[in-house]
Amino acid sequence: MTLETEVQSLRQVPMFRDVDPARLKLLAFTSERVQFAGGQRFFSQGDPSDAAYVILDGRASVLLHTPGGDIQVAELGSSALVGEMGILSDTPRSATIMATEPTTALRIDKRVFLELLAQFPQMSLAIMRELAKRLERTNAQLVAQSSA
Amino acid sequence: MEKSLFRYIWTHSRRDQLIVCAVVLASLPFYFMSLDLPRQIVNQAIQGEAFREGNPTAPFLHLTYDWPVWLGGGTLEIFEGFQVTRIGLLMGLSLLFLFFVVVNGAFKYWINVEKGILGERMLRRMRFDLFSMVLRFTPEALRTVKSSETATIIKDEVEPIGGFIGDAFITPIFLGTQAITALLFIMVQNVWLGLIALAVIAIQFIIIPRLRRELLRLGRQRQLASRQLAGRIAEVLDGIEVVHVHNAYNWERAEIGHRLFDLFTVRLKIYNRKFFVKSLNNFLAQLTPFFFYAVGGYFALRGTLDIGQLVAVIAAYRELPPPLKELIDWDQQRLDVQVKYDQVTQHFAEERLGPMVEARQDEEEDTPLVGPLVGEGIRVAGPHGDMIIEGGAFAVDLPASVALISNGGTAASMMARIVARRTTEFSGQLRIGDRDLLQLPHAVAGRRIAYAGVDPILFPGSIRDNLIYGLRSKPLGKVVESKRDMDRRIAEALRTGNPLESISDQWVDYKRIGAKDENDLDRILIDLLERIGMGDTIYLLGLAGWIDPARDSALAGRLVEARQRLRETFRSNGMSDLVEPFDPERYNSQATIAENLLFGVPISDEFKGRQLAENAQFRSAIRRAGLTDGLVRMGLQIAETMTEIFEGLPPGHSLFEQFSFIGAEELPEYQKILRRYARGEGHLRREDRTRLLALPLAYVEARHRLGLLDDGMTDRIVGARGLVREVLEKADPEGVEFYDPEKICAAAPLRDNLLFGRVSYQVANARARVAQAVATVIRELDLLEDVQRIGLDYDVGTAGRLLSPQERASVNLVRCLVKRPDILVVDGALAPFDEARGQQLMQLLLQFFQQQSLFMVLPNDRQAGAFDVQMRFRDGQIIIDNTAHPPLGRAKPGPEAERITGEVA
Repeated sequence: MTLETEVQSLRQVPMFRDVDPARLKLLAFTSERVQFAGGQRFFSQGDPSDAAYVILDGRASVLLHTPGGDIQVAELGSSALVGEMGILSDTPRSATIMATEPTTALRIDKRVFLELLAQFPQMSLAIMRELAKRLERTNAQLVAQSSA
Repeated sequence: MEKSLFRYIWTHSRRDQLIVCAVVLASLPFYFMSLDLPRQIVNQAIQGEAFREGNPTAPFLHLTYDWPVWLGGGTLEIFEGFQVTRIGLLMGLSLLFLFFVVVNGAFKYWINVEKGILGERMLRRMRFDLFSMVLRFTPEALRTVKSSETATIIKDEVEPIGGFIGDAFITPIFLGTQAITALLFIMVQNVWLGLIALAVIAIQFIIIPRLRRELLRLGRQRQLASRQLAGRIAEVLDGIEVVHVHNAYNWERAEIGHRLFDLFTVRLKIYNRKFFVKSLNNFLAQLTPFFFYAVGGYFALRGTLDIGQLVAVIAAYRELPPPLKELIDWDQQRLDVQVKYDQVTQHFAEERLGPMVEARQDEEEDTPLVGPLVGEGIRVAGPHGDMIIEGGAFAVDLPASVALISNGGTAASMMARIVARRTTEFSGQLRIGDRDLLQLPHAVAGRRIAYAGVDPILFPGSIRDNLIYGLRSKPLGKVVESKRDMDRRIAEALRTGNPLESISDQWVDYKRIGAKDENDLDRILIDLLERIGMGDTIYLLGLAGWIDPARDSALAGRLVEARQRLRETFRSNGMSDLVEPFDPERYNSQATIAENLLFGVPISDEFKGRQLAENAQFRSAIRRAGLTDGLVRMGLQIAETMTEIFEGLPPGHSLFEQFSFIGAEELPEYQKILRRYARGEGHLRREDRTRLLALPLAYVEARHRLGLLDDGMTDRIVGARGLVREVLEKADPEGVEFYDPEKICAAAPLRDNLLFGRVSYQVANARARVAQAVATVIRELDLLEDVQRIGLDYDVGTAGRLLSPQERASVNLVRCLVKRPDILVVDGALAPFDEARGQQLMQLLLQFFQQQSLFMVLPNDRQAGAFDVQMRFRDGQIIIDNTAHPPLGRAKPGPEAERITGEVA
């Protein structure tokens, strides 16, 4: 797998869909491709947020820590972006991410990511658009729940 | 130092000056003989005066002495000489002439060398004297003394003084005698003409120095201005951060430009004046012949002076100017140097200096500093005339831990400095037992009192050097050095007033801290660093450090063993994918192409980084291996990708530095190369190919993921290793150290030597896991201490800048702790630590100093309860409180504990 295939994977991520290809290449180039063994954690709930990950290959589960033990709340597959909220809002990890099988991911360093955003407004806009969409979805869900 | 330069020179080099003078005088007859011989050769041998009466032979080397009339007259024949023919006489006299030429040359050589050596010795003495005075600057004087100015003085300003010293007495005597001889000769010929010559000389000697007085004043200005320039440049450099932060470049540039203009103006004035004086001098010198021609000619016409005499006088006068001119030059130089000397001595004025540091220490006085510490009538004035402490009095029984609680002002800190003897700007008395604390000899205070201030001052050198700095008060053991070298070194030191100790002697006082030897000392240092919380840092610095397998072959062997053990650990724990080992037969995808080609670590700069691509030998090796075209193609692809993805980032952006193969400033250059390539490969220039070649050398497939390497290429690279090695070894045997699985690579840091491979970029969290495994193996093989000892070798850089502020503070504290002082004064040394760490360290210090005294400045009352005594400052008064029950269960030392203290110290 080379830089080009990573760029293809990044393009699948909704947040990066509208970003210029050359910028996506820069994002991929400045990221690290890392492999996790099955059962290995990307990060744990409460850790400082230092990076976001894009899953290139494999699966990972999202775990929430509860008094009764960890419970799985979601499962992530290829092209899923994870950990981006933490680095944007500068808060500790809100959940644990654990690979359920051998998984390859692109690790986007927080500092590099923020610098790219600062440098290229077009990228920031794409991110904002995606965040706004998410908010809209959440609102819609809330409305649906309260009306139900 | 003596007020007058001449007195200084005379005091310290009397003997040598007199010897050289004597030789100069002894050489004069030979000199005059060589002047006289040409006349004899012409008159006696060539014109044949000696053979005038038809003698076929004449005496050669006929030596006689005419007794003076007052001893009865007559002639004493010493040697009747050889009877020789005309040719024989010619040859004999010519050879004699040659002999005198050689003898004069020899004299001149000897005199010059001796004068030079004399000057060099005096220069050494003067520099050393000045440096000794640097050590004596009082704390108050140090506030105004600029370090760079002082350095300029010792290095540059005394240099011309040293050059002059050889000539100080000899030149005036030598030239003076010559001038007087010539003048006397003229006087004998004709008193009037002699008087005229004398009068002109007198005018020269009166007017010229007067004109030069202004020159001296300007010289003084110039010296000060250049000294301040040096000081200013050093200041800017030291404070360069502020210049950057506040964008003060233009101001600083203008400031220095202004100084240079002032300096130029002064120098120009000097220049003009100097040459005016010079031409006036020349004119006066030419004035005398005018008088001779006019007045002498008048006398000759009147018949009172015969022509022969006049010609002789003029000839003699021709001999007069050179020594006279040189004499005046010497005088100029003398004044110049005297000005310099005065400026130097002013910088080191007595009132700025403390008392002489005694070299010998009084052993009987050296008893522990315990007993009642009593302060009386202590008065400290602030910098603006306010009273910080007024009539302060206190009594504390030492050993004790004393908290100096700040009232927000500087009183606590001042008190700490007074106890540590760091200031003399106070009045009052401070006694410990029956001794005056301030009158303690330096040697005693130095070993028994330690002071850790806000500013941890570190010297460039290893951490170890800095830690043991306080243990080097005098040499204790002699290192064997060759007798001849030692004699020479000591003889020179004696002649120049320098110290006789050699720095290669054993200076470290192992016994004082209870260490047996060097290794034991390291153990103590590491233990202290560990306890103060710097153990991990030292371990990490050790891993990043280098070892010399030749010096420590046993350790090298154990490290190779650790390397194998580490490999096994990886294998057995399923961690093999974390580190890709260096294998002579396989390509390492986690390493750069350059590293894969060299299969070693470059030592010489020409094989490092991009320089490797410019190295002709390396290029020829990869050409022979058939790799050049492939690598250049890779370079093109890298250049293309880089120009594509980094375009639009402003130059200087941190992403460039961190990720790009190509610097921002090089980007346009590579774009040009790419455009040339687009027109066809033939358009690439030779240097283009070199630049392209440089790019893939830093390429790591696993990290950069551009997909440039296939198996064929990696195989070819591995195959080229042998060839590259052969070629580079021939070019420079010391240029690259090649990897050997069974050996330690001295050029690589310890960590790389243990791994003997590269940590995978692809496995998540690989670095941390590898670090853990390394730590485990090091512990298992009992190598921790060895690694930490290598960490002690870490160079702290100028003023310790390569360490973090916390590390600097830790080193500063351990430096105090290791000498086990009776009294430790801590004044802000814990400031770089956060509150929790600071408190921990305070507890630690209290524990360390259960048997000794600890004085610590605290910002407030909060932690003061842990101390035996609280010293507060209110309205200039000192108030003492004793803690009823010391929380640490500190037992007041009985006689037994005191004995232990004594032993330790």
